[in-house]
Amino acid sequence: MENIVSTLIQLGQGFKFTFGIFGFTLIFSIPLGLLVSKGRMSKIFVVSLFFRVYISILRGTPLMLQLLLVYFGPYYLFGVNLGSIQVGPFNYRFLATIIAFSLNYAAYFAEIFRGGIQSMPKGQYEAATVLGFSKMQTYFKIIMPQVVKRVLPSVSNEIITLVKDTSLAQVLSVAEMFTAASAAASRQVSVVPFIVAGAFYYGMNLIIEALLNGVEKSMSYYS
Amino acid sequence: MSEINNDIVLEIKDVYKSFDHLDVLQGISLNVNRGEVVAVIGPSGGGKSTLLRCATTLERVDSGRIMIGGDVLCEDKDGRAVYCDKKREKEIRSKFGLVFQNFNLFPHFSVRRNITEALIHVHNKSRAEAETICLELLDKMDLREKADSYPCNLSGGQQQRVSIARALATNPEIIFFDEPTSALDPELTKGVLTVIKELALEKMTMVIVTHEMSFARDVADRIVFMDGGVIVEEGPAYDLITNPKQERTKAFLAGY
Repeated sequence: MENIVSTLIQLGQGFKFTFGIFGFTLIFSIPLGLLVSKGRMSKIFVVSLFFRVYISILRGTPLMLQLLLVYFGPYYLFGVNLGSIQVGPFNYRFLATIIAFSLNYAAYFAEIFRGGIQSMPKGQYEAATVLGFSKMQTYFKIIMPQVVKRVLPSVSNEIITLVKDTSLAQVLSVAEMFTAASAAASRQVSVVPFIVAGAFYYGMNLIIEALLNGVEKSMSYYS
Repeated sequence: MSEINNDIVLEIKDVYKSFDHLDVLQGISLNVNRGEVVAVIGPSGGGKSTLLRCATTLERVDSGRIMIGGDVLCEDKDGRAVYCDKKREKEIRSKFGLVFQNFNLFPHFSVRRNITEALIHVHNKSRAEAETICLELLDKMDLREKADSYPCNLSGGQQQRVSIARALATNPEIIFFDEPTSALDPELTKGVLTVIKELALEKMTMVIVTHEMSFARDVADRIVFMDGGVIVEEGPAYDLITNPKQERTKAFLAGY
Protein backbone atom coordinates (compact mmCIF):
# COMPACT_ATOMS: atom_id res chain seq x y z
CA MET A 1 0.00 0.00 0.00
CA GLU A 2 2.77 2.32 1.01
CA ASN A 3 4.48 1.46 -2.25
CA ILE A 4 1.42 2.36 -4.27
CA VAL A 5 1.05 5.71 -2.55
CA SER A 6 4.68 6.67 -3.03
CA THR A 7 4.52 5.42 -6.62
CA LEU A 8 1.50 7.62 -7.24
CA ILE A 9 3.30 10.61 -5.77
CA GLN A 10 6.41 10.01 -7.86
CA LEU A 11 4.43 9.48 -11.03
CA GLY A 12 2.36 12.52 -10.22
CA GLN A 13 5.59 14.54 -10.10
CA GLY A 14 6.59 13.08 -13.44
CA PHE A 15 3.17 13.75 -14.88
CA LYS A 16 3.75 17.49 -14.58
CA PHE A 17 6.61 17.15 -17.06
CA THR A 18 4.65 14.79 -19.28
CA PHE A 19 1.82 17.26 -19.43
CA GLY A 20 4.26 20.11 -19.97
CA ILE A 21 5.87 18.39 -22.95
CA PHE A 22 2.44 17.57 -24.32
CA GLY A 23 1.02 21.07 -23.90
CA PHE A 24 4.01 23.05 -25.14
CA THR A 25 4.48 20.74 -28.11
CA LEU A 26 0.88 21.30 -29.20
CA ILE A 27 1.13 25.05 -28.70
CA PHE A 28 4.24 25.30 -30.87
CA SER A 29 3.83 22.51 -33.39
CA ILE A 30 0.36 23.39 -34.67
CA PRO A 31 1.17 26.96 -35.79
CA LEU A 32 4.57 25.79 -36.98
CA GLY A 33 2.89 22.98 -38.90
CA LEU A 34 0.62 25.50 -40.57
CA LEU A 35 3.66 27.53 -41.67
CA VAL A 36 5.46 24.42 -42.89
CA SER A 37 2.40 23.34 -44.89
CA LYS A 38 2.25 26.82 -46.44
CA GLY A 39 5.92 26.56 -47.33
CA ARG A 40 5.45 23.08 -48.70
CA MET A 41 2.67 24.38 -50.99
CA SER A 42 4.70 27.41 -52.09
CA LYS A 43 4.84 28.09 -55.80
CA ILE A 44 8.49 29.05 -55.40
CA PHE A 45 10.38 25.86 -56.12
CA VAL A 46 13.26 26.29 -53.65
CA VAL A 47 10.90 27.13 -50.82
CA SER A 48 8.70 24.13 -51.49
CA LEU A 49 11.76 21.91 -51.91
CA PHE A 50 13.18 23.07 -48.59
CA PHE A 51 10.01 22.18 -46.73
CA ARG A 52 9.63 18.95 -48.63
CA VAL A 53 13.09 17.91 -47.43
CA TYR A 54 12.30 19.15 -43.92
CA ILE A 55 9.15 17.02 -43.74
CA SER A 56 10.87 14.03 -45.28
CA ILE A 57 13.73 14.03 -42.79
CA LEU A 58 11.67 14.80 -39.69
CA ARG A 59 9.17 12.07 -40.53
CA GLY A 60 11.78 9.67 -41.78
CA THR A 61 14.08 9.50 -38.76
CA PRO A 62 13.36 8.43 -35.17
CA LEU A 63 12.08 11.09 -32.82
CA MET A 64 14.46 9.68 -30.22
CA LEU A 65 17.40 10.44 -32.51
CA GLN A 66 16.08 13.95 -33.09
CA LEU A 67 15.83 14.50 -29.35
CA LEU A 68 19.45 13.48 -28.88
CA LEU A 69 20.57 15.62 -31.80
CA VAL A 70 18.84 18.75 -30.53
CA TYR A 71 20.24 18.21 -27.05
CA PHE A 72 23.82 17.18 -27.86
CA GLY A 73 24.14 18.68 -31.35
CA PRO A 74 25.00 22.25 -30.38
CA TYR A 75 27.94 21.08 -28.27
CA TYR A 76 29.32 18.26 -30.41
CA LEU A 77 28.78 19.99 -33.74
CA PHE A 78 29.55 23.60 -32.86
CA GLY A 79 31.17 23.46 -29.46
CA VAL A 80 28.40 25.61 -28.04
CA ASN A 81 27.48 24.68 -24.51
CA LEU A 82 23.82 25.31 -23.89
CA GLY A 83 23.64 23.00 -20.90
CA SER A 84 23.42 25.87 -18.43
CA ILE A 85 20.59 27.65 -20.17
CA GLN A 86 17.54 28.12 -18.03
CA VAL A 87 14.31 29.75 -19.16
CA GLY A 88 12.08 30.35 -16.17
CA PRO A 89 11.65 27.00 -14.47
CA PHE A 90 12.83 25.09 -17.55
CA ASN A 91 16.36 23.74 -18.02
CA TYR A 92 17.93 22.96 -21.35
CA ARG A 93 16.94 19.29 -21.18
CA PHE A 94 13.32 20.30 -21.11
CA LEU A 95 13.74 23.02 -23.73
CA ALA A 96 15.54 20.64 -26.09
CA THR A 97 12.69 18.19 -25.63
CA ILE A 98 10.10 20.81 -26.54
CA ILE A 99 12.13 21.98 -29.54
CA ALA A 100 12.62 18.45 -30.91
CA PHE A 101 9.01 17.45 -30.31
CA SER A 102 7.68 20.65 -31.88
CA LEU A 103 9.88 20.35 -34.97
CA ASN A 104 8.91 16.70 -35.36
CA TYR A 105 5.17 17.11 -34.83
CA ALA A 106 5.09 20.19 -37.06
CA ALA A 107 6.17 17.95 -39.94
CA TYR A 108 3.25 15.59 -39.36
CA PHE A 109 0.75 18.38 -38.80
CA ALA A 110 1.99 20.14 -41.94
CA GLU A 111 1.12 17.16 -44.09
CA ILE A 112 -2.28 16.82 -42.44
CA PHE A 113 -3.01 20.52 -42.97
CA ARG A 114 -1.81 20.33 -46.57
CA GLY A 115 -4.17 17.44 -47.20
CA GLY A 116 -7.04 19.41 -45.67
CA ILE A 117 -6.31 22.62 -47.55
CA GLN A 118 -5.83 20.88 -50.88
CA SER A 119 -9.04 18.90 -50.45
CA MET A 120 -11.07 22.12 -50.44
CA PRO A 121 -13.08 22.48 -53.64
CA LYS A 122 -11.86 25.24 -55.95
CA GLY A 123 -15.43 26.53 -56.08
CA GLN A 124 -15.20 27.76 -52.48
CA TYR A 125 -12.32 30.07 -53.41
CA GLU A 126 -14.09 31.18 -56.58
CA ALA A 127 -17.37 31.94 -54.83
CA ALA A 128 -15.49 33.95 -52.21
CA THR A 129 -13.53 35.80 -54.90
CA VAL A 130 -16.53 36.91 -56.93
CA LEU A 131 -18.33 37.98 -53.76
CA GLY A 132 -15.42 40.35 -53.17
CA PHE A 133 -13.81 38.74 -50.14
CA SER A 134 -10.11 39.54 -49.75
CA LYS A 135 -7.54 36.76 -49.65
CA MET A 136 -7.33 37.02 -45.86
CA GLN A 137 -11.10 36.97 -45.43
CA THR A 138 -11.39 34.00 -47.75
CA TYR A 139 -8.71 32.16 -45.81
CA PHE A 140 -9.97 32.84 -42.31
CA LYS A 141 -13.73 32.93 -42.87
CA ILE A 142 -14.32 30.44 -45.65
CA ILE A 143 -11.40 28.04 -46.00
CA MET A 144 -9.87 27.48 -42.56
CA PRO A 145 -13.10 26.76 -40.66
CA GLN A 146 -13.86 24.00 -43.14
CA VAL A 147 -10.28 22.72 -43.12
CA VAL A 148 -10.40 22.39 -39.32
CA LYS A 149 -13.38 20.09 -39.61
CA ARG A 150 -11.73 18.04 -42.33
CA VAL A 151 -8.42 17.53 -40.52
CA LEU A 152 -9.77 17.00 -37.03
CA PRO A 153 -9.82 13.17 -37.13
CA SER A 154 -6.19 13.03 -38.30
CA VAL A 155 -5.11 15.73 -35.86
CA SER A 156 -6.80 13.77 -33.06
CA ASN A 157 -4.69 10.78 -33.99
CA GLU A 158 -1.50 12.81 -33.68
CA ILE A 159 -2.54 14.33 -30.38
CA ILE A 160 -3.19 10.90 -28.89
CA THR A 161 0.12 9.61 -30.23
CA LEU A 162 1.85 12.62 -28.73
CA VAL A 163 0.65 11.71 -25.24
CA LYS A 164 2.45 8.39 -25.52
CA ASP A 165 5.48 9.81 -27.35
CA THR A 166 6.25 12.08 -24.39
CA SER A 167 7.82 8.99 -22.80
CA LEU A 168 10.66 9.31 -25.31
CA ALA A 169 11.93 12.31 -23.34
CA GLN A 170 13.39 9.68 -21.05
CA VAL A 171 16.48 9.55 -23.30
CA LEU A 172 17.32 13.09 -22.18
CA SER A 173 16.68 12.17 -18.55
CA VAL A 174 13.77 14.56 -18.35
CA ALA A 175 11.94 13.60 -15.19
CA GLU A 176 8.69 12.86 -16.98
CA MET A 177 6.32 10.13 -15.95
CA PHE A 178 7.93 7.23 -17.77
CA THR A 179 11.33 8.06 -16.29
CA ALA A 180 9.71 8.16 -12.87
CA ALA A 181 7.97 4.86 -13.51
CA SER A 182 11.21 3.18 -14.61
CA ALA A 183 13.00 4.42 -11.51
CA ALA A 184 10.20 3.29 -9.21
CA ALA A 185 9.99 -0.09 -10.90
CA SER A 186 13.64 -0.87 -10.43
CA ARG A 187 13.64 0.45 -6.87
CA GLN A 188 10.63 -1.64 -5.89
CA VAL A 189 11.57 -4.57 -8.13
CA SER A 190 7.96 -4.48 -9.29
CA VAL A 191 5.98 -4.03 -12.44
CA VAL A 192 3.27 -2.10 -10.62
CA PRO A 193 4.72 1.37 -11.38
CA PHE A 194 4.56 0.58 -15.10
CA ILE A 195 0.94 -0.46 -14.78
CA VAL A 196 0.16 2.73 -12.89
CA ALA A 197 1.99 4.77 -15.55
CA GLY A 198 -0.02 2.97 -18.22
CA ALA A 199 -3.22 3.92 -16.38
CA PHE A 200 -2.07 7.56 -16.29
CA TYR A 201 -1.41 7.64 -20.04
CA TYR A 202 -4.65 5.89 -20.79
CA GLY A 203 -6.62 8.14 -18.45
CA MET A 204 -5.15 11.22 -20.09
CA ASN A 205 -6.02 9.92 -23.51
CA LEU A 206 -9.56 9.08 -22.44
CA ILE A 207 -10.06 12.68 -21.41
CA ILE A 208 -8.49 13.94 -24.63
CA GLU A 209 -10.67 11.62 -26.67
CA ALA A 210 -13.77 12.93 -24.93
CA LEU A 211 -12.70 16.53 -25.55
CA LEU A 212 -11.94 15.91 -29.21
CA ASN A 213 -15.21 14.07 -29.69
CA GLY A 214 -16.93 17.11 -28.24
CA VAL A 215 -15.16 19.41 -30.67
CA GLU A 216 -16.00 17.12 -33.56
CA LYS A 217 -19.62 17.05 -32.50
CA SER A 218 -19.73 20.85 -32.27
CA MET A 219 -18.80 20.96 -35.96
CA SER A 220 -21.23 18.29 -37.09
CA TYR A 221 -24.02 20.75 -37.81
CA TYR A 222 -23.00 20.71 -41.47
CA SER A 223 -21.58 18.12 -43.80
CA MET B 1 -11.03 56.39 -71.01
CA SER B 2 -12.82 55.40 -74.15
CA GLU B 3 -16.43 56.18 -74.83
CA ILE B 4 -18.80 54.75 -72.27
CA ASN B 5 -22.29 53.93 -73.26
CA ASN B 6 -24.37 53.75 -70.12
CA ASP B 7 -26.76 51.35 -71.69
CA ILE B 8 -24.09 48.75 -72.28
CA VAL B 9 -23.57 46.84 -69.06
CA LEU B 10 -21.17 44.27 -70.46
CA GLU B 11 -18.82 44.78 -73.32
CA ILE B 12 -16.59 41.97 -74.49
CA LYS B 13 -14.43 42.84 -77.46
CA ASP B 14 -12.24 40.53 -79.47
CA VAL B 15 -11.34 38.31 -76.55
CA TYR B 16 -8.83 35.49 -76.94
CA LYS B 17 -8.01 32.88 -74.35
CA SER B 18 -6.00 29.70 -74.55
CA PHE B 19 -5.00 27.08 -72.01
CA ASP B 20 -1.54 25.75 -72.80
CA HIS B 21 -1.97 25.20 -76.52
CA LEU B 22 -5.72 24.83 -76.55
CA ASP B 23 -7.42 27.89 -78.00
CA VAL B 24 -10.67 28.12 -76.09
CA LEU B 25 -11.82 31.60 -77.06
CA GLN B 26 -10.86 32.85 -80.50
CA GLY B 27 -12.04 36.39 -80.90
CA ILE B 28 -15.30 36.75 -79.01
CA SER B 29 -17.20 40.02 -79.05
CA LEU B 30 -20.45 40.45 -77.20
CA ASN B 31 -22.35 43.45 -75.86
CA VAL B 32 -25.14 43.17 -73.36
CA ASN B 33 -27.47 46.09 -72.81
CA ARG B 34 -29.10 47.05 -69.58
CA GLY B 35 -32.19 44.97 -68.91
CA GLU B 36 -31.30 42.47 -71.57
CA VAL B 37 -31.26 38.71 -71.08
CA VAL B 38 -28.73 36.88 -73.21
CA ALA B 39 -28.59 33.09 -73.31
CA VAL B 40 -25.37 31.42 -74.40
CA ILE B 41 -25.86 27.96 -75.88
CA GLY B 42 -23.62 25.51 -77.65
CA PRO B 43 -21.90 22.15 -77.33
CA SER B 44 -19.66 21.30 -74.37
CA GLY B 45 -16.11 22.49 -74.87
CA GLY B 46 -17.28 25.30 -77.10
CA GLY B 47 -15.99 27.97 -74.73
CA LYS B 48 -19.24 29.09 -73.06
CA SER B 49 -18.11 28.56 -69.48
CA THR B 50 -14.66 29.95 -70.18
CA LEU B 51 -16.24 33.11 -71.55
CA LEU B 52 -18.25 33.47 -68.37
CA ARG B 53 -15.21 32.80 -66.22
CA CYS B 54 -13.23 35.45 -68.09
CA ALA B 55 -16.02 37.99 -67.68
CA THR B 56 -16.19 37.28 -63.94
CA THR B 57 -12.43 37.65 -63.29
CA LEU B 58 -11.94 33.94 -62.55
CA GLU B 59 -9.78 33.58 -65.65
CA ARG B 60 -7.47 36.07 -67.33
CA VAL B 61 -7.92 36.62 -71.04
CA ASP B 62 -4.86 36.70 -73.30
CA SER B 63 -6.04 39.62 -75.36
CA GLY B 64 -9.11 41.74 -75.84
CA ARG B 65 -11.17 44.14 -73.83
CA ILE B 66 -13.79 43.59 -71.14
CA MET B 67 -15.90 46.30 -69.60
CA ILE B 68 -18.49 45.76 -66.90
CA GLY B 69 -20.85 48.43 -65.62
CA GLY B 70 -18.76 51.22 -67.11
CA ASP B 71 -15.50 50.00 -65.59
CA VAL B 72 -12.80 48.56 -67.78
CA LEU B 73 -11.55 45.24 -66.45
CA CYS B 74 -8.99 44.78 -69.17
CA GLU B 75 -7.92 46.69 -72.21
CA ASP B 76 -6.10 45.47 -75.28
CA LYS B 77 -2.58 46.87 -75.68
CA ASP B 78 -0.68 45.61 -78.72
CA GLY B 79 -2.45 42.28 -78.70
CA ARG B 80 -2.11 41.68 -74.98
CA ALA B 81 -4.77 42.19 -72.36
CA VAL B 82 -3.74 44.69 -69.70
CA TYR B 83 -5.77 44.40 -66.52
CA CYS B 84 -6.85 47.18 -64.21
CA ASP B 85 -5.38 47.41 -60.71
CA LYS B 86 -6.57 45.19 -57.84
CA LYS B 87 -8.65 47.93 -56.26
CA ARG B 88 -10.57 48.59 -59.44
CA GLU B 89 -10.97 44.87 -59.98
CA LYS B 90 -12.56 44.55 -56.57
CA GLU B 91 -14.95 47.38 -57.42
CA ILE B 92 -15.84 45.60 -60.63
CA ARG B 93 -16.60 42.45 -58.68
CA SER B 94 -19.27 44.30 -56.78
CA LYS B 95 -21.00 45.11 -60.06
CA PHE B 96 -21.79 41.57 -61.07
CA GLY B 97 -23.06 38.39 -59.50
CA LEU B 98 -22.19 34.85 -60.52
CA VAL B 99 -24.33 31.77 -60.04
CA PHE B 100 -22.37 28.55 -60.34
CA GLN B 101 -23.45 25.24 -61.72
CA ASN B 102 -22.55 23.58 -58.41
CA PHE B 103 -23.93 26.43 -56.26
CA ASN B 104 -20.70 26.75 -54.25
CA LEU B 105 -22.56 27.81 -51.15
CA PHE B 106 -20.46 27.98 -48.00
CA PRO B 107 -21.45 24.76 -46.20
CA HIS B 108 -20.41 25.96 -42.74
CA PHE B 109 -22.64 29.04 -42.93
CA SER B 110 -26.41 29.08 -42.52
CA VAL B 111 -28.48 30.26 -45.47
CA ARG B 112 -28.77 33.63 -43.77
CA ARG B 113 -25.02 33.99 -43.33
CA ASN B 114 -24.31 32.82 -46.87
CA ILE B 115 -26.29 35.82 -48.03
CA THR B 116 -25.31 38.43 -45.46
CA GLU B 117 -21.60 37.72 -45.01
CA ALA B 118 -20.41 39.63 -48.08
CA LEU B 119 -22.87 42.46 -47.41
CA ILE B 120 -21.45 42.97 -43.95
CA HIS B 121 -17.77 42.30 -44.52
CA VAL B 122 -17.27 43.46 -48.11
CA HIS B 123 -19.96 46.09 -48.61
CA ASN B 124 -19.85 47.44 -45.04
CA LYS B 125 -23.58 47.22 -44.47
CA SER B 126 -24.86 47.04 -40.92
CA ARG B 127 -26.08 43.68 -39.71
CA ALA B 128 -29.66 44.99 -39.59
CA GLU B 129 -29.49 46.26 -43.16
CA ALA B 130 -28.00 42.99 -44.34
CA GLU B 131 -30.71 41.01 -42.54
CA THR B 132 -33.43 43.05 -44.19
CA ILE B 133 -31.96 42.50 -47.65
CA CYS B 134 -31.52 38.80 -46.90
CA LEU B 135 -35.09 38.21 -45.76
CA GLU B 136 -36.48 40.18 -48.69
CA LEU B 137 -34.56 37.98 -51.10
CA LEU B 138 -35.50 34.79 -49.30
CA ASP B 139 -39.15 35.82 -49.55
CA LYS B 140 -38.66 36.26 -53.24
CA MET B 141 -37.07 32.82 -53.49
CA ASP B 142 -39.86 31.36 -51.37
CA LEU B 143 -37.27 30.19 -48.84
CA ARG B 144 -37.82 32.43 -45.84
CA GLU B 145 -38.41 29.53 -43.51
CA LYS B 146 -34.99 28.13 -44.48
CA ALA B 147 -33.04 31.17 -43.28
CA ASP B 148 -31.43 29.27 -40.42
CA SER B 149 -30.95 25.98 -42.25
CA TYR B 150 -27.59 24.84 -43.53
CA PRO B 151 -27.02 24.16 -47.24
CA CYS B 152 -26.60 20.42 -46.62
CA ASN B 153 -30.21 20.26 -45.44
CA LEU B 154 -31.62 21.84 -48.59
CA SER B 155 -32.48 20.25 -51.91
CA GLY B 156 -30.35 21.12 -54.91
CA GLY B 157 -33.03 23.43 -56.22
CA GLN B 158 -33.26 25.23 -52.91
CA GLN B 159 -29.49 25.53 -52.72
CA GLN B 160 -29.38 27.05 -56.17
CA ARG B 161 -32.07 29.56 -55.23
CA VAL B 162 -30.04 30.51 -52.15
CA SER B 163 -27.02 31.04 -54.36
CA ILE B 164 -29.11 33.25 -56.65
CA ALA B 165 -30.17 35.23 -53.59
CA ARG B 166 -26.52 35.49 -52.56
CA ALA B 167 -25.60 36.82 -56.00
CA LEU B 168 -28.48 39.32 -55.93
CA ALA B 169 -27.80 40.57 -52.41
CA THR B 170 -25.11 43.04 -53.38
CA ASN B 171 -27.44 44.61 -55.94
CA PRO B 172 -25.31 43.88 -59.00
CA GLU B 173 -25.82 45.44 -62.40
CA ILE B 174 -25.57 42.09 -64.14
CA ILE B 175 -25.82 38.46 -63.15
CA PHE B 176 -24.04 35.60 -64.83
CA PHE B 177 -25.44 32.09 -64.65
CA ASP B 178 -23.17 29.17 -65.47
CA GLU B 179 -25.49 26.29 -66.34
CA PRO B 180 -27.63 26.94 -63.27
CA THR B 181 -29.75 23.82 -63.64
CA SER B 182 -27.22 21.31 -64.97
CA ALA B 183 -26.45 19.85 -61.55
CA LEU B 184 -30.11 19.48 -60.63
CA ASP B 185 -32.53 16.61 -60.95
CA PRO B 186 -35.08 17.43 -63.66
CA GLU B 187 -37.92 17.92 -61.19
CA LEU B 188 -35.89 20.50 -59.28
CA THR B 189 -35.02 22.71 -62.24
CA LYS B 190 -38.46 24.27 -62.44
CA GLY B 191 -38.19 26.36 -59.29
CA VAL B 192 -34.82 27.73 -60.34
CA LEU B 193 -35.99 28.55 -63.86
CA THR B 194 -39.09 30.25 -62.47
CA VAL B 195 -36.94 32.49 -60.31
CA ILE B 196 -34.76 33.44 -63.30
CA LYS B 197 -37.90 34.16 -65.34
CA GLU B 198 -39.14 36.49 -62.63
CA LEU B 199 -35.81 38.30 -62.66
CA ALA B 200 -36.13 38.69 -66.42
CA LEU B 201 -39.55 40.28 -65.96
CA GLU B 202 -37.97 42.72 -63.50
CA LYS B 203 -35.51 43.67 -66.25
CA MET B 204 -32.48 42.28 -64.50
CA THR B 205 -29.54 42.16 -66.89
CA MET B 206 -28.46 38.54 -67.22
CA VAL B 207 -26.14 36.31 -69.18
CA ILE B 208 -27.16 32.68 -68.91
CA VAL B 209 -25.15 29.73 -70.12
CA THR B 210 -27.69 26.96 -70.45
CA HIS B 211 -28.66 23.70 -72.08
CA GLU B 212 -32.37 24.34 -71.53
CA MET B 213 -33.38 25.34 -75.04
CA SER B 214 -37.04 26.03 -74.42
CA PHE B 215 -36.13 28.09 -71.38
CA ALA B 216 -33.61 30.06 -73.43
CA ARG B 217 -36.19 30.62 -76.15
CA ASP B 218 -38.85 31.82 -73.70
CA VAL B 219 -36.77 33.91 -71.32
CA ALA B 220 -33.85 35.31 -73.29
CA ASP B 221 -34.10 38.34 -75.52
CA ARG B 222 -31.14 37.20 -77.48
CA ILE B 223 -29.36 33.89 -77.94
CA VAL B 224 -25.70 33.44 -78.72
CA PHE B 225 -24.59 30.11 -80.17
CA MET B 226 -20.95 29.33 -79.46
CA ASP B 227 -18.86 26.53 -80.87
CA GLY B 228 -15.14 26.06 -81.31
CA GLY B 229 -14.30 29.23 -79.41
CA VAL B 230 -16.24 31.57 -81.65
CA ILE B 231 -19.76 32.95 -81.79
CA VAL B 232 -21.24 31.08 -84.71
CA GLU B 233 -24.58 32.79 -84.72
CA GLU B 234 -26.58 35.18 -82.62
CA GLY B 235 -30.00 36.68 -82.86
CA PRO B 236 -33.38 37.21 -81.25
CA ALA B 237 -34.12 34.18 -79.08
CA TYR B 238 -37.21 32.91 -80.80
CA ASP B 239 -35.78 33.29 -84.30
CA LEU B 240 -32.53 31.56 -83.50
CA ILE B 241 -34.20 28.54 -81.96
CA THR B 242 -36.95 28.15 -84.53
CA ASN B 243 -35.11 29.29 -87.60
CA PRO B 244 -31.33 29.01 -87.27
CA LYS B 245 -29.29 30.22 -90.23
CA GLN B 246 -25.98 28.45 -89.77
CA GLU B 247 -25.48 24.75 -90.44
CA ARG B 248 -23.65 24.21 -87.12
CA THR B 249 -26.49 25.83 -85.22
CA LYS B 250 -29.02 23.69 -87.03
CA ALA B 251 -27.05 20.53 -86.32
CA PHE B 252 -26.72 21.45 -82.65
CA LEU B 253 -30.38 22.31 -82.20
CA ALA B 254 -31.44 19.14 -84.01
CA GLY B 255 -30.08 17.26 -81.00
CA TYR B 256 -32.70 18.79 -78.71
